[in-house]
Amino acid sequence: MYVTVKVEVEKCNGCKLCVLSCPDPNVLAYKQEEKHVVVNEHRCKGCGLCATVCPEEALTVSGN
Amino acid sequence: MSTKIITPVAQFAELLPQEYKDLVAHGPYHERRSVRDLGTFKEIVDEHPHCAGCGVALAVRLLAAALPSPADTLIVGTPGCSFFSLVQTALNYSNTAFGNQNAVAAGLKRMLEIRFPRVHKDVVVVAGDGGIADIGLDLTLHSWFRREKITTVMLDNEVYANTGGQESGMSRQGRVLNMAPRGKLFPKIPVFELAKVSGCVYGARVTVAGPYKVGRAVRNAVLLARELGPTYVQVYTPCPTNMKFPPDQTLRVAKEAEKDHYSFEEFMSAEAAEYLTRLKATSEESEKAPELAKP
Ligand code: SF4
Ligand code: SF4
Ligand code: SF4
Repeated sequence: MYVTVKVEVEKCNGCKLCVLSCPDPNVLAYKQEEKHVVVNEHRCKGCGLCATVCPEEALTVSGN
Repeated sequence: MSTKIITPVAQFAELLPQEYKDLVAHGPYHERRSVRDLGTFKEIVDEHPHCAGCGVALAVRLLAAALPSPADTLIVGTPGCSFFSLVQTALNYSNTAFGNQNAVAAGLKRMLEIRFPRVHKDVVVVAGDGGIADIGLDLTLHSWFRREKITTVMLDNEVYANTGGQESGMSRQGRVLNMAPRGKLFPKIPVFELAKVSGCVYGARVTVAGPYKVGRAVRNAVLLARELGPTYVQVYTPCPTNMKFPPDQTLRVAKEAEKDHYSFEEFMSAEAAEYLTRLKATSEESEKAPELAKP
């Protein structure tokens, strides 16, 4: 399965809800300096939880 | 239990996978971390085998971030979905035969108290509902009756998940499961209530939809078990695979449960309440120190 997680960085408010909701470690991290979330797609299983919890709808998960 | 044990000698460091080296270098040992810090350190090997959207995997991440002294903590587990990621955390982990975990943990705790009289070594049982409420219920209750200074964390997905979905004692009444096609016949075993009357000085019932609550409960439970006696945390960890809901709905399912049968609840003895207030008053620093002043 190849999964893409897209972050619309300008929408991200830094709440970190996505980081706290991802069941897989080391996929999502909030970068303080950049003020948005970054994604390591290699480890993402594509569950979509991060997108469901994001209050700003900043995340889109797609894949097959 | 120091990082020296897990730090590879120079000659072998080359041969070890990068994953392992990262765990040693960026695990939670070196400074106190909290749930708030998730995403800034490495708590689990990246490639764990939990299904997409697994509530158990999420709970293990939260737990790994919430322990007050990770380098001085021994996690004791048992077969089941819970142990997939536990064996891959940056934590000392020991597995037991199914159901034995509280007896093994109690023995290890007593041994560690003798071996390290001046340092707190936390022993935390982390197991699923099957391990604790069914096969291990007698040993769990007896560890509480004996007032063993250990924490028990139940990751309650309300099913035997890794063996294909048999009903567990913690499955809800009427629940239809892969291997309970007519629905479960009796209510959830009231382990949380049993913890109250069996000697636990602290208990909390939480769900993965409240990450900070999970973190606080685990932390309180571990700190109180050091001094006062057994503690219990029951975390609802929905399993999309066996409950057959889409994996992006795990937290919604947990939130729904909070409104229904999994409302947040906490109990503590008067002594425990007093101890927590004292801890808070003696500043963050004392909470950070692994060898929190012992007489
Ligand atoms: S949940 Fe959304 S807004 Fe919050 S940190 Fe993640 S991407 Fe940003
Ligand atoms: S889709 Fe799931 S695994 Fe991937 S980043 Fe989002 S929460 Fe994590
Ligand atoms: S079967 Fe359920 S509990 Fe087990 S790994 Fe999959 S989602 Fe998690």
